[in-house]
Amino acid sequence: MNVLHIAWRELRSIFHTPVGWLVLGGYLFVTGVFWVYMVENYVLQSQDLVYNPYAASQLTLEDYLLEPFFGNCAVVLLMILPGVSMRLFSEEFRQHTMELLLTSPVSTAEIVLGKFFGALGFVGVLLLTSLHYPIALLQWGTPEPGVLLGGYLGLLLMSGALLAMGMLFSSLTSNQIVAMVLAFAASLSLFVLDWGAESPDDWNHKLALAPHLSDMLQGALKVSDIAYFVLFGAFCLFATHQRLESYRWS
Amino acid sequence: MIQVEQLTKVYGSTTAIDHLDFTIERGEIVGFLGPNGAGKSTTMRILAGALGATEGRAMVGGIDVFREPKKVKRLVGYLPEVPPLYVDMTVRDFLRFCGRVKGAESVRERVDQLIERVGLAPVSHRLIDHLSKGYRQRVGIAQALVHRPQVLILDEPASGLDPAQRVEIRQLVEELAQGDVTVILSTHVLPEVEAICDRVIVIDRGRIVASDRLDALSRAGTRIRLTVARPDEPLMAELNALDGVVSVESLGGGQLRVTADADVREAVARAAVSRGLLELGGTQGLEEVYLQLTGGEA
Repeated sequence: MNVLHIAWRELRSIFHTPVGWLVLGGYLFVTGVFWVYMVENYVLQSQDLVYNPYAASQLTLEDYLLEPFFGNCAVVLLMILPGVSMRLFSEEFRQHTMELLLTSPVSTAEIVLGKFFGALGFVGVLLLTSLHYPIALLQWGTPEPGVLLGGYLGLLLMSGALLAMGMLFSSLTSNQIVAMVLAFAASLSLFVLDWGAESPDDWNHKLALAPHLSDMLQGALKVSDIAYFVLFGAFCLFATHQRLESYRWS
Repeated sequence: MIQVEQLTKVYGSTTAIDHLDFTIERGEIVGFLGPNGAGKSTTMRILAGALGATEGRAMVGGIDVFREPKKVKRLVGYLPEVPPLYVDMTVRDFLRFCGRVKGAESVRERVDQLIERVGLAPVSHRLIDHLSKGYRQRVGIAQALVHRPQVLILDEPASGLDPAQRVEIRQLVEELAQGDVTVILSTHVLPEVEAICDRVIVIDRGRIVASDRLDALSRAGTRIRLTVARPDEPLMAELNALDGVVSVESLGGGQLRVTADADVREAVARAAVSRGLLELGGTQGLEEVYLQLTGGEA
C-alpha cells in the first residue's frame, strides 16, 4: 500500500511541474513528426514499387514503418527520461522532504519502489497517449500484433531500466542537473556500447542496450532480452536502496 | 516513555553526540537547550528514526528505535528544523498523503479536523509553495500530528514565527501534553522554554551538561552585581557566609559580584546596606544558567 501511495504522489507531482508537461508534449511532438515523415516515406516507396510485385511484397509495414518508428521513439525516450528521473531523489534532498519519508513507518525498499513505479507510471501515460499511431495504422493496414506488442513492451522495459539508473544517479546528489547529465551520459553510452563489437558474442554487444531492444522491436520476445532489462533495472533499484540506507546511517 | 542510553553519533571525525543518557516520562514537556551544533538536532533525528546511531540504545514507548523502527515511527511525530513539505501540493492533499504513509486511521476526517485545529482552514486549498512562513510551520506541525503520535519531537518549532504565532504553538503543545502526549522540543528562545517546559536538558558539544526541573535550574543561576560606598573584608566574609552563595568577587571601585545557586538577593541587600549600598542589580534565571553551562558570557 505504501508503495502505491508514494508512487501516486510521485506521478501527480510530475504533472504538477512544467517538466512533466514539457516532456509529455515534447515526446508527442517529436514522435508525431517522425510518424508523419515515415508514413509519407513509406507511401512514396510503395508507389515506386507498384510495378515490382516482388519488391513490394518485401516492403512490409513492420520492417519499413513500425520497427524504425519504435527505434526512433526509443532514442527520444533515451533523451527525455533523464529529465524525469533527475528529480526523484535530488528534489527530496534539496527540499528536505526526505526526512518525512525517513521518519514515516515505511521501509527504504518501499520508498525506492514507490518512486520508481511513480516515474514508470509517467512513462506509461506517455506510451498510452502515443497509442493513436498504431490505432490510425489499423484503419488502413494489418500490422502484425506481435510487432506492436513487442514495440510497446520493449519501450516500457527500456524506460524502466533507464529510469532505475537515473534514479540511482538522483539518489547520489541534491543537484538535479548533475543527476540528469550523469543519467544521460550513462544511457547514451549503454545504448551505443555495441558499436565497437565485432560479433554478437562480444561482451560489449551483450551488455549494450540497443541489440536487446532491437530484438523486441522486431516482435521477437526472448527471455534473455526481457531478463536483461529486468535485471539491469533491479540492480539499479538495489543500488539506490543501498545508497539510501547508507544516507540514513552515515 | 523515552529512554536513551549511551547514545553516540560520530560523523567522520566529529562527534555530534557523546554518550548521552536521559529518560523522559509520559506526558512531560522537555526542552532541549544548547548552542548551535551542540547535538540537539542529531539526538532528535535519531529518536525520530531519520538517522542511525554509532553506539548506544534509544527506546521509545519501550520499543528499540534501531531494532523496530517501523513500530517506533508510528508512535513518533517529528517536525525537523526545516519543515518537510512538498511545495507542489495543496495543504489538504499533502496532509492526506502524510496520513496515508504514516498509517493514520480515517485519514480524511483526521486531516479535516487537524486543518481546523492548527488554523489552516483559510489556506487548505492553496499550494504550499504559496504559503507564508507561519503557515508553512503550521503545516509542518500538522504533518507531525496527523497519525496521533504519543511522542512529539519538535526541532525549533517557533523559529521564524511572530509573537502571536509563538503563543498559539505554545498553547497547542500544552494542550497536547495534557492529552498525555510526550513532547521534546528544542529552541534558542529561552522564554519559550520557561513558559512551557517541565524539564530542561542542556546539551553542549554533544554532552548533557544539565538536566533538571526548570525551577531548580533557574534558581541555580543567580548572579548579583552590587556597588557599595565602603567595601571591606568583613562584608566579603559576611556575603560569603550567606546560605546559597557560591562566590563573591571584588571588581574594584566598590563593585562586587555575587554568584549563588539560590535566590539570595534580599539577604545580600540587607548585608550591604550598612556599608552604604549604592546600587544593586542582578540576573536570575535560565539565561544565566544556560550561559554558565555552555561557556557563554553573560
